[in-house]
Amino acid sequence: MIRIAAVGDVHLGEDARGRLRPALEHLPDHADLLLLAGDLTKHGTLAEARVVAEEFAGLPVPVVAVLGNHDHHADVPEQIAALLTDHGIHVLEGESTVLRLDGAAVGVAGVKGFGGGFAGKCGSAFGEPEMKSFVRHTEKVAARLADALHAIDVPVRVALTHYSPVTDTLRGEPLEIYPFLGSYLLAEAIDDAGAALAVHGHAHFGTEHGTTPGGVRVRNVAQPVIRCAYKVYNLHGPDERGDQSASATGGQASPHSTSRA
Amino acid sequence: MSSRTPQYAAARLTQALAEDPRTAELGVRVQLRGDHVYLVGEVASEERRQHLTEVVRELEPELTVHNEVGVVECREPSTAEELD
Ligand SMILES: [Fe+2]
Ligand SMILES: [Fe+2]
Repeated sequence: MIRIAAVGDVHLGEDARGRLRPALEHLPDHADLLLLAGDLTKHGTLAEARVVAEEFAGLPVPVVAVLGNHDHHADVPEQIAALLTDHGIHVLEGESTVLRLDGAAVGVAGVKGFGGGFAGKCGSAFGEPEMKSFVRHTEKVAARLADALHAIDVPVRVALTHYSPVTDTLRGEPLEIYPFLGSYLLAEAIDDAGAALAVHGHAHFGTEHGTTPGGVRVRNVAQPVIRCAYKVYNLHGPDERGDQSASATGGQASPHSTSRA
Repeated sequence: MSSRTPQYAAARLTQALAEDPRTAELGVRVQLRGDHVYLVGEVASEERRQHLTEVVRELEPELTVHNEVGVVECREPSTAEELD
């Protein structure tokens, strides 16, 4: 069994310093790995990123993150990623990492993702350059997600995005803004490679539970949705023979990244 | 060129709450009923909750603000979901 904790949209800043840390104290009792589904900051500044780094640094379990749209607002996403990396957080953008957690291995592929809409109700790369670049950005990040998932050479794969791959987890949001909340191309990438779980954030008014058309479980872990510090998903592998090898102490991160800048 | 047409007040406020650096909240819903404005959603701190009222009052001082926004909870979860 692999125990995955996940939260998105913590939107930290100097006014919310230390907000999550008390709830993270017993994290290793609940989970072997923590996923952060983007929108870690409010305005995407380095000062806010420093608060995020301190909040999640030095935890006894590996922390894997993607950035969200808020983390791009000050146009320094690379510096934010570097700062978080310096604090031991794996930041993924079109990459994957394999974590070996006391015998159980899990590969996480992450991208921010983007909007565009959902099958039959989405934008097309047609017309004005602004429209084409909007849609092409989604196509590009979805392709990176597929590549990153395919690059994982262990049986348990998890997809981590900020934007949603499905509409199920958007229920509660106005239909009119669905095209800004995610893209079916992300789900297509996930179904193409296969995954045990897909985790995202971004839709603050959405719903936790969903499924891709191919049957992959999707969970919206935006903090206003889950209403707690993080959610825990226990993944039971198909080859699990009732041996609970995962202990309470997390594990070693073995970076196994495939960079696709 | 910001219009003052009252029918567009809700749209103006939604944009302002997203774009004003004090708030930068895309996850707050603005509902206008006559001269009352209701704010719904969740933000990360009490300070941010108060900034919402502040920004709305500055932009539409004649409206009565009902700030129903909550501060998001961050307790440890009590259960895990089993997925197989
Ligand atoms: Fe968010
Ligand atoms: Fe977001």
